Amino acid sequence: MQFHPEQIDASFYDRLREHYTDAEIVELGVFIGFNVGYHTFFRTLDFYPMFAPDGTLVSQDESRRIFGDSPVSHLSERVAEALARRDGTGGEGDS
Amino acid sequence: MAAVDPIPKSDAEAQGIDLDSFARLGDEEAVFLRILARVPGYAEAIWGAMSESLFEGNVDHRLKEIVRLQLASTAEDAYFGDLRSKEALASGLTEERIAAGRTGFDTDPDFTDAEKWALRYAWLMYRRPEQVDADFYAEGKRHFSEAEIMELGGLIAIHYGMQVFMRTMGNPA
Repeated sequence: MQFHPEQIDASFYDRLREHYTDAEIVELGVFIGFNVGYHTFFRTLDFYPMFAPDGTLVSQDESRRIFGDSPVSHLSERVAEALARRDGTGGEGDS
Repeated sequence: MAAVDPIPKSDAEAQGIDLDSFARLGDEEAVFLRILARVPGYAEAIWGAMSESLFEGNVDHRLKEIVRLQLASTAEDAYFGDLRSKEALASGLTEERIAAGRTGFDTDPDFTDAEKWALRYAWLMYRRPEQVDADFYAEGKRHFSEAEIMELGGLIAIHYGMQVFMRTMGNPA
């Protein structure tokens, strides 16, 4: 939706309908559109993560001191691990 | 035909959705609301935020309407791009100003510096968001209060978000 909206055509919706109802498709589409709109806006506001790497809630000033010029969510590592497990390329918890 | 059909007007009204409120944007059929009505509560919540950001607040409504239509152009969304605020038109907004808000606004002598900043804000947001930085906001604060900048930012985010969604709906008219 954000990068290649032209690919979301009638056949794409037909495939979606194999898995979701029309109500669920609207629910997903609006959710995605809402997040495309707001996350880009929030990015420009220079927000910093609300949590330190140990999960402690911190102020924006404290977060800025912790994360420096390139803030990365403390969840990013867990997300990467989950994606690696999904793709079978390793990650914590793989047996 | 839309990718997801709008529900019948009678069904939407039975949910308590005020379809007439969408006529402010020039769509008497309220197609957008009737698509959102497939999810309980969505039409009221999403249109409520869109309507509040477009029709209320301190920033001139005509400027916000030009911003909204520039965003529809960015999103390549014909549905919202074809709609016009009746109030903006009634207060003198012209198609010439709407078109001027899409391209060439930076050198257009008929836009004030504040209007140019607002139009640049919308233009950069989804094309060059990295340029919407601290310096850019500092410039904006010379023209607008922080509340007004948030009013513009919220308008841009919610309207663009729903435009990218409606673009994928095909031709819902």
